[in-house]
Amino acid sequence: MSVDTDPFALFDLPRRHAAAREAIEQRYLELSRAAHPDNVVGEGTAARRAAVERASAINAAYRTLRDPALRAEALVKLGGIDLDSTDAERGAPHPTQAFLLEMIDLRERLEDGGPAGVAAVRDDVEARSDAALDAAVAALDAGEVRRAAEQLVARRYFQRFLDETDSSAP
Amino acid sequence: MTSVSIHDTGALFQIAEPTDSRRAPRRPGRGIGIDLGTTNSLVALAPHGAAPRVLRDSAGSGLVPSVVAYTADPPLVGRAAQALQAEHPSQVLSSVKRLMGRGLADINFAHPYHLSEETPGLLRICVGSPPGSQVGSLPGSQDAPGLSASSRRVTPTEVSAAILRELKLRAEAELGEPCDGAVITVPAYFDDAQRQATRDAGRIAGLQVYRLLAEPTAAALAYGLDRGGEGLFAVYDLGGGTFDVSILRLHKGVFQVLATGGDSALGGDDFDRALAAHLLQKAGSSEPSPNQLDAARLAARAAKERLTEETATRVALPGLPELEVTRAEFDALIEPLAQRTLRACRQALKDAGLRAPELDGVVLVGGSTRVPKVRELVAETFKRPPLADIDPDEVVAWGAAIQADILSGSAREGVTLLDVVPLSLGLETMGGIVEKIIPRNATIPIAARQVFTNYAEHQTGMVIHAVQGERELARDCRSLARFDLKGIPRLPPSMARVEVTFQLDADALLTVSARELMTGVRQSVEVKPTYGLSEEEVDRLVMDSLDHAGDDYARRNAAEARVELGRVVLALRTAVTEVGHLRDLLPDDERVRLEAALAAADAAMADPDAVAEPLNRARTALEKISEPFARRRMERALNAGMAGKSLHDIERALADEEALQEKRAGHSPELLEPEEP
Repeated sequence: MSVDTDPFALFDLPRRHAAAREAIEQRYLELSRAAHPDNVVGEGTAARRAAVERASAINAAYRTLRDPALRAEALVKLGGIDLDSTDAERGAPHPTQAFLLEMIDLRERLEDGGPAGVAAVRDDVEARSDAALDAAVAALDAGEVRRAAEQLVARRYFQRFLDETDSSAP
Repeated sequence: MTSVSIHDTGALFQIAEPTDSRRAPRRPGRGIGIDLGTTNSLVALAPHGAAPRVLRDSAGSGLVPSVVAYTADPPLVGRAAQALQAEHPSQVLSSVKRLMGRGLADINFAHPYHLSEETPGLLRICVGSPPGSQVGSLPGSQDAPGLSASSRRVTPTEVSAAILRELKLRAEAELGEPCDGAVITVPAYFDDAQRQATRDAGRIAGLQVYRLLAEPTAAALAYGLDRGGEGLFAVYDLGGGTFDVSILRLHKGVFQVLATGGDSALGGDDFDRALAAHLLQKAGSSEPSPNQLDAARLAARAAKERLTEETATRVALPGLPELEVTRAEFDALIEPLAQRTLRACRQALKDAGLRAPELDGVVLVGGSTRVPKVRELVAETFKRPPLADIDPDEVVAWGAAIQADILSGSAREGVTLLDVVPLSLGLETMGGIVEKIIPRNATIPIAARQVFTNYAEHQTGMVIHAVQGERELARDCRSLARFDLKGIPRLPPSMARVEVTFQLDADALLTVSARELMTGVRQSVEVKPTYGLSEEEVDRLVMDSLDHAGDDYARRNAAEARVELGRVVLALRTAVTEVGHLRDLLPDDERVRLEAALAAADAAMADPDAVAEPLNRARTALEKISEPFARRRMERALNAGMAGKSLHDIERALADEEALQEKRAGHSPELLEPEEP
């Protein structure tokens, strides 16, 4: 996997979830200073395009590395499972029947609950989302990429649920 | 895998590389910083690491009113234009920044202009007939210009270009040489169309636009470098027509924007309007005329400014009884507007993952932050007294000048600006739902890649609709452009794979490129911007302005040639009158040829439209023919009592002769060369 798509390699960091925030910030500033497109203003098209692409890769990696959930998803991808793909082998694992029933149940609670109920359901889902991320990180640390992927898929469902709840709130 | 609305369009791939300007060598110290404001604009210089300095007019003002009067050609800009505003309300344009990158349907505020949109998404302002024709100058013809077939329509981009050109000239007069390039500031909250329009305006004005710099980031740069600041800062920027808030981290020369927010149609102008409406209502004027509205707005602005120092003031509106307005009344009027800015502040803090007490300072920028109520509310929201010790009108231009100096290649202490895109970038998917591909507040430059596939074998093209905004539905977001991908290979459904890269550059401007994954061939895409000028139209306007620049150049050359020729003719006529009767100085045949050449020179000058070339030719001929005559006169002057004089005396005599020649507007200094006998 190239440096372009491996944020850990680009930032010279070990490929594991635990990451020192300070080290990420420090490295980001160093890389940005060296690669900023401002450095090549007035140069040829090729140099400017290369700088924009390099800086874009650094910014994208930074965004991934500083966010615990995106960092976990990147590690899963490096482990061979792309959560953005529907491929049966290397794509996102399908959620289990039990999980889908759990989501349906949550939606029903949301519709029946009234304003107070909405807040309670929201808190519940937020807690489940956090728990899914914790479980994914634990799985990654244990080297179980598929189990981590399953937890991250579940987390995406929970997050979507939260986004929808928030955007439909008055 | 993304499922995006895909329409069959057929035909071949079209390749349109992103806008490019050819490599230009930089000239250190010749970068200029421009704050292109809604109400006023400024230009500043900070050459070779110097402290930034706003360029001022003879009255000491650095503010150039962002007003352009199309009552003359070329148009008038600034104070001269402003003076004509009351007389020609539809031909004198102000606050066009509010129209940049906008369509007719977006203009939901009052304005005195005749707007049209013949091309979808391209707003034009009718500025009446060209100067000199009858229609525009008739008294009371306010409505006529919009109907006249010969009337001129300008885009907001061209109006901004006129302002930029004026600022460029001001800077070049100061530099004494052409400027190299410019950093132009834009509200942080400007979307892609508004930024693109600003960049286009720069190109049309003949500027190499190094960078579009967010106004609050520019202010932070000025403050940070001035104070050696480190830590977390909020910049609250309320200008004439726009509002921005940015949260930044300053650390070892890196200015990192963590989050930004704002409203690109909210500013001090709205305070004026609210107060004007209130004043008219209070004075009992229920249906004011456009002229009354204008007068009320001007009176409101002046009253607003007085209320910064005073707690009550008197206002006189034309034809209405004088009345009093208090600061408390004004505060109540603007409070809802100010609250809108505070909501954006709280959101920006949230997006940055910070709470107000964690900040190390709050900086006020923009003339509208002089309003006491605004200061009070900002202090309350950020829980600290704000900083405003650098002139809030000038601080943005300072920052732009510093960045322009850096980008011109000056050896200045390294500064890195990491800015963000203010609005999420998304694609319209099935059912008009937006799929976000780059979230707001992502550090730029940044790219997103999406793989698109075909839904049927016969499908060979697709249209991708890019939008900007936070809403769920594409129709509620800002439409940026439609990208037409063509020439997809005929393959079974879902087998064709085109990877499309959406690249936001360091100006937060979008370019799109595509790669067919089976062949790996890089393709680009036909872009149909929803708003603003097309690439070709900008190129045409740039060429037009270059043509005009060429015209100006030619006119100046012709004028200079005319002056030169006039001097030669005058000098020769004087000499002929004084010594022309002496045959040994001017033989008859030579005199005839000289008279003929003088007559030819007169003829060349008789044409008032003569370009430089025939005038210069006449002068060259005249100089050639008169050369022996001039030499003989010189020899005579030298021989007349030069014998026995020291070299020093001769040199002085020669210098005297030279001075005499100059006094007579003479010529032929080459005859003073020592080789001549």
